[in-house]
Amino acid sequence: MRRWFLLMLLALAGCSEPEQQAGFAGLAGVAENESGVPFLQPGPGDRLSFPEDFGPHPQHRIEWWYLTANLQTEGGEPLGLQWTQFRQAITPRPTNAEPPEANTWPLEAAWMAHAAVSFDSQHYFGERLARGDIGHAGASAEPLTVWLDDWRLEAASGNESWRLQVAADGWSYDLSLRVKGEPVAHGDNGFSAKSADGEGSMYFSLVDLQIDGTVTLGDQTLEVTGKGWFDREWSSQFLKAGQQGWDWFALHLDSGDKLMAFRLRESDGAFRAGTWIADNGKPVALGADQLRIAPLTEGDGYPRAWQLAVPDFGLNLEVAAPAGDYRNTGLFPYWESPVSVSGSHDGVGYMELTGYGE
Amino acid sequence: MVGSLLWARGLKKQFSSGNEPVSVLQDLSLQLEPGQSLALTGRSGSGKSTLLNILCGLERPDAGSVGVLGETFDTRNPEALKKAEARWGNLRRQQIGVVFQEANLMPALSLLDNVRLRARLAGQDEQDCQDWLERLGIGELANRYPDQVSGGQRQRAALAMVFAMKPALILADEPTGSLDRQTAESVIEQLFELQARHGCGLILATHDPDLASRCNRHLDLGHLPVP
Amino acid sequence: MTLLAALFSHYRRHPLQLLALAAMIVLATMLWTGVHHLTSQARASLEQSESAVAERQQVRRTDGKQVTVEDFVELRRGGLCVMPWLEVASPETGRVVGVDPLAAGCFGSTDQDDEPWRGELDGRPFVDISEAAELARGKTGELSLLVSDSDSAGVLPAGYRLAPFRVGPDTGELGDSFLLNLDALGVLVLLITALLVRSVYLLGLAQRRDSFALLHRFGVGPGRINRLLVAEILLLALVCIVPGIWFGRWLATGLGGGFGRALEGLFDQPLYAGQDGGWLVPLAIMLAVVLVACLADLLRPMARRLFGNGRRYGGFPVLVLVFGVALSIWAPGLAWLFVAVAIVFVAAGTLAPILISRLADGRARADSNPLARWRHRELSVLARRLALPLVALQFAMAMVLAVQALVTTFESTFDRWLGQRLEADFYIEIPETVDPGPALEWLSEQPELAASGMWHRVARGEATLVKTSGETGPAVDVFALGPVGPLVTGWQLFESTDEPWRALQQGKGMMVNEQLARRQDVTVGQTLTVTLGGEELNFPVLAIYPDYGRPAGEILLNVSVLPPEFVRGFQSLSVSPGDLSMEAVTHQLKALWQVEELTVRDNRAIEDLASAIFDQTFLLTRAMTALTLILAAVALLMMGWVFFSTRAWYFRLLMVWGLSRRQASAQLIRLAVSLSSIIALLALPLGVWLTWVLVHRINPLAFGWSLPMAVYPGFWLELGVLSLLIGLSIALLMSRQLKSPKSAPVNANAPAGGER
Repeated sequence: MRRWFLLMLLALAGCSEPEQQAGFAGLAGVAENESGVPFLQPGPGDRLSFPEDFGPHPQHRIEWWYLTANLQTEGGEPLGLQWTQFRQAITPRPTNAEPPEANTWPLEAAWMAHAAVSFDSQHYFGERLARGDIGHAGASAEPLTVWLDDWRLEAASGNESWRLQVAADGWSYDLSLRVKGEPVAHGDNGFSAKSADGEGSMYFSLVDLQIDGTVTLGDQTLEVTGKGWFDREWSSQFLKAGQQGWDWFALHLDSGDKLMAFRLRESDGAFRAGTWIADNGKPVALGADQLRIAPLTEGDGYPRAWQLAVPDFGLNLEVAAPAGDYRNTGLFPYWESPVSVSGSHDGVGYMELTGYGE
Repeated sequence: MVGSLLWARGLKKQFSSGNEPVSVLQDLSLQLEPGQSLALTGRSGSGKSTLLNILCGLERPDAGSVGVLGETFDTRNPEALKKAEARWGNLRRQQIGVVFQEANLMPALSLLDNVRLRARLAGQDEQDCQDWLERLGIGELANRYPDQVSGGQRQRAALAMVFAMKPALILADEPTGSLDRQTAESVIEQLFELQARHGCGLILATHDPDLASRCNRHLDLGHLPVP
Repeated sequence: MTLLAALFSHYRRHPLQLLALAAMIVLATMLWTGVHHLTSQARASLEQSESAVAERQQVRRTDGKQVTVEDFVELRRGGLCVMPWLEVASPETGRVVGVDPLAAGCFGSTDQDDEPWRGELDGRPFVDISEAAELARGKTGELSLLVSDSDSAGVLPAGYRLAPFRVGPDTGELGDSFLLNLDALGVLVLLITALLVRSVYLLGLAQRRDSFALLHRFGVGPGRINRLLVAEILLLALVCIVPGIWFGRWLATGLGGGFGRALEGLFDQPLYAGQDGGWLVPLAIMLAVVLVACLADLLRPMARRLFGNGRRYGGFPVLVLVFGVALSIWAPGLAWLFVAVAIVFVAAGTLAPILISRLADGRARADSNPLARWRHRELSVLARRLALPLVALQFAMAMVLAVQALVTTFESTFDRWLGQRLEADFYIEIPETVDPGPALEWLSEQPELAASGMWHRVARGEATLVKTSGETGPAVDVFALGPVGPLVTGWQLFESTDEPWRALQQGKGMMVNEQLARRQDVTVGQTLTVTLGGEELNFPVLAIYPDYGRPAGEILLNVSVLPPEFVRGFQSLSVSPGDLSMEAVTHQLKALWQVEELTVRDNRAIEDLASAIFDQTFLLTRAMTALTLILAAVALLMMGWVFFSTRAWYFRLLMVWGLSRRQASAQLIRLAVSLSSIIALLALPLGVWLTWVLVHRINPLAFGWSLPMAVYPGFWLELGVLSLLIGLSIALLMSRQLKSPKSAPVNANAPAGGER
C-alpha cells in the first residue's frame, strides 16, 4: 500500500522532483497549482486567529492536529497515548472557496490519522487514510471537530471539553479532555521558524489538558487519567533542502512548568528552537543559542535518551524513553514515545524523532 | 497415294534432351493400303511410339504431312491444322483402333463395359460386344474387372474393344510386350486373324523380328539413313 | 547412408510432399495453438477478474436507490470498512474501474493477493476514483461499495443490506458459453487437420511401399522399419510443431488486441495481455495428434481384433452413428456430450466415403450409357481414394455451417436483446430531483407523438418475492413501465396469457424474466406475491420474457400499480419522437423540469457501436473456420492432383478413343463437381446436427439456458456454390495434366492408379 500511495499522491499532485518525495510532513516546494492559486507560506509577522485556526487551512500544503498524553492507569502504571490527524494538500484552495462537489470524488487533499498507545513496554499503532472534501475525513473550527472514519475529536460542551474516540484493530480509546489555559503561540506570535533562512510554520499548543477515560487493549479495559498536550501546526514547507529530520520534545515538569523544544538536523549542525512556559507565566520563545539538545546515546537508530538544557532557566534535563520499541510503523515511520524527565527537574513528556534512516 | 489407307510424307520430329535436340524422325515417309500390315522396328527411342502417335493425331510432327482415310494433315497448312484435333478425334473415335502394351482398359469398368464403351464411342452396336469377347475366348470373363484377369486376357479384351469399333486402321504399340511368349503368340494370332478377316490396315510396332516378319511390310526406324 | 536416411530419401525425391506434410502440421499447430491460447487467456482473465472480487460482498441500499458518495461516507464514519468501486464503461476507453486507494487501507490484509486492486484490470492499472468520476461525466458509471471480509459478517446500519459483488455481472455466462463453443471448434479443427496430415502421410507411405519391400528383401525386419517410421515422423513432428506453436502464439497476440476489446465490449470480459500460456500442453497434444494420425495403421491390427474388420461394410458405422446421435440427445453431462460429438464425427467420416462410393456404384449399375457408367464408377474410386481429404472437407464444411448458424444466432439474439433495450430512438434520464409528472402529461398531449412516435417511462426499483410459505424470497429488480405501447409489445415472449400487454396496460398482472421463471419455477397464470414499497401485492404472471442470460430476477409492471411508498431508483424516458423533433422534446423537458442539462442517449448510435463490436468478436471465429475450410480444400486439391497424376493415363485413354481434350475435361469437371457437391450435401446434416448440439445441448448443459436455434438455408446455398468452386478448381487443375502425353502406367496396381 505504502509505495503505491506515495506514487499515486505524487502522480496526482504532479510532483516529480525527487527531493519532494520526502514525505507527508516533509519538504515540499511552494508552488502554484494549475489555476494559479499558490500555496501560502507562513512568515514572520503572520498572526494566529481563534477559533478559525483550530480549523483547516486548505491553502497550506500540510497541517496537523496533534495530541500526546501522559496518563496513568488506576494501578498507577504510566500509559502514553497519541492521536494525530494530518492533512496533506495536493491542490491549494483559498480558505473561503467552495469545496469541490463530493460526487466527483475530488482528490485535492489526503488525510491521515495516527493513533498509538504505549503501555507496559508495548506500542500499539493504527493508521487511517482518506481523501478530503467528500466528508470521509475533515476538520472544523467551531465547534471543534476533527474526524476520519469513526475516529473523531469533537468539542463536547462549549470548547472547554472535548471527546476523543479511536477504534483501531483490536484496541481503542475513548477520552474526555478538559482544556485549561489559553493557546500558547510558539516562536514569533505563532510563527515558528524552522531554519535560519526563515522557513517555518504557524504553531500553537494547548499545553494543559486534563484527561480521563478508558483505553481498551484487547479484552483489557483500563481507566486512565493524566495530562495531555495538543499541537496545531500548519505550513507549506517545513524542512528546507539539507535538513534530515527533527527531534521534538514536549515536557510537563513536576514544577508545573512546560517546555517545548525541537531541533532540525542539518548536514552541518542543527536548527534549534523552543518555548519555555512557566507555570502561570508568559511563554518565552527560546532561540538556538538558549537551547542545548543532544542525544546521550551513540550509534545508529533512534536515540532513546537525550540531554536538554536551557541555562537561562536553570534547566538541565535528561530525557529518556522507557524500554520498548515506539516506532509508528505507518506509511512514514517515525518514533513517538512517552518520556520521563530527570536531572534538574523531574517530569513526563513526549518525544518525536524523525528522519533516522527508515 | 490417293486411295491409300494411310500415307506420310517428310515427317520430322525432334525432342530436346537436356539442351541437346534429339531427332527421332528424319524426313520419314510411308504408305499403307487397306488390308496391309506394316511392322515398325528399331531400338528403344528410335521413334516407334512417336510415329504411331503422329499417325493417329495424338502428337504433331514438326514438319511433313499425313493422310488418313482421305483426311489430310499438313504442317504447311496452319489453317487446316486448326480443325485438325476434331478431325483426328473423329478418326480415332470411329476408324483408328489403338492398342498399347498395357492399360488399354478402364480399371473401374468390367471387360464387357470397356468394350461397350469403346463400341459406343465409335457409334457401333453394343449388342455385338459380348460376341467379341467370346470370339477372343474370354466371354466367360465379361463381367470381371481388369485387375481380376491375367495380362493376356486384358490384351485380348483390348483387341475385342478395337474390333468392336470396326476400325479401318489398327495401330498397335508392342501389344504383347508384357506377355509371356505363349500368350503373346496366341494374342498375335488372333490379331492377325481378325485383321485379315476384316481387311483393315495394321501398323505394329515391335521389338520382335519374328513378329515383324509376319507383317506384309517392314520399316526399321533404327536403320533409316540419318542425313 | 543410414537406414533412416534411406527411408527419408523418398522425401528428397518428393520434396513437395514433405513440404505439404510439414505445412499441414505447422498450420494445424498454429490454428489450434492460436485458438487454445486465446481461449485459455480469456478464461484466465475471467477467473482473475472474478477472483479480484471473489467472495466479495457489497453494500446496497434497502430502498433500492443507487449508493452514492454520501452512503460511502456515512458507512465509513459509522466504522464500517467499505471501499468505493466506480465502474465506467465507454467505447473509447473500454471499462475503467476507479477505486479509492486511501479508503482501501482498512481492507488491511498483509497478503497482496487479497487486495487485487493493487494489480491491473484489463491490462491497465485501476485508476483513482476521481479520474473515473471525471470519465463518468455524461456516461453510465456505476458505483458499488465493496465491504471488507471482516465487516461482511457484521451488522449493517439500518437502510443497508449486503449483496454479492461480481465484476462481470450480466453477460458473463454468454462469454463463457462463447469460449466453450470456441473450444469445441478448436477440437474440430484439430480433428480435421489430423485427417489432412494423415492423408498426406499415407500417400507418401503408399509410394514408399516398394522401397519397404526392397528393404525387407535386404533383410530389414518390418519391426525395424516401423520403428524407423515412428522415429521419422517424431522428428518431423517436433521440427514442425515448435514453429507452429510460435506462429499460433503470434497469431493469438496479433488477434488478441481486437479479440480482447471485443470480448470485453460484448461480454464484459476483459482479456489480460501478456499471460504466458505453456508450451508443453500444445506440444504434447499436437505430438499425440500427429502420431496417432500418421501411425494409426500400426494400431489397426489391435483395433481389428477388437471390432472385427468392418472397413468395407457400412453396417457397423451406421450403428455407431445412431448410437452417437442418441447419446447426443440423452447425454447427461458435458463430457458425454463431447464423446457423442466425437462418435458422430468418426462414424459420419467413416460412412461418407462408403456412402458416396455405394451411391455411385448403384447409379453405375442403373445407367446403361457406358460413358456415364464409367463416370459413376470413377467417382466411386475417387471417393474411396480421396476419403481422408474428403472427410476433412466435409468436417470443415459442417463446422463452417455450425459456426455460421451459431454466430448468426448469437448475433440475432444479441440484436434482439439490444433491440429490446434500445427500441426507442432516444433515451432520456429523468433527473432525480424533478417530478416527472408534468413532462409525462406534456408527452401524452403531443399529437405528433401519438400519431407517429412512441414513448414510455421506466421506473426502476427493487422488490422482494414472498414465497408461498410466507417466507421472504429473493430480491428482484422492478421495471415499472407506462404507458405500455409498441416499444414493448413487439417483444418476443416465451410464454404468455392471451393479450398479455393489454392486461399489463390495465395493471392486471406482471411479467417475469426467464431467469426468475427458471429459478423460482414460475409459470404463466400463477399468482406471485411481492413486497413492494412496504406493501404486499399479488399479481398474476402474464408472460415470461427472454433475458438472454441476465442472471438477476426481474419483474415488469405497469407504473400505475406502484404503491406510493415505492422508492423509484432510477427513472428514464424512452422516446421515438416520430415527426416531432427531438430538440423540441428535450427543450420542453428542460423547461418543464427547470434543468440546464439532460442526459439524452442516441440509441441508434449505441446499437451501431454494439454491432460493430460484435462483428469484431466473431471475426476470429469466422477467420478460423474459413482458414480450416481453405486448408481442407487445398488438401483435397493436392491429394486430387496426386491421385489424378496416377489416373491421368485413363483420361488420356478417352482422348485416344476419340474424345477431344475439351470433352475429356468436361468429364473431369462433372466428376470433380459431383464429388465436391456430394460432400457438401453430406456436410449439411452433420453441420445442422452440430449446430443443434452447440446451441441446444452444450449451452443448456453448461449454463442452464439456451438460445433459440435457427438454420440459414441462404448460407447453405453459399456453401454449395463454394463446393462447386472447389470442384471446378480441382477439375481445372487436373485437366492441365491432360495436355502432356502420358506413358502408360507400368503395372496396374492400386497406388499406380489402376484401382477399380
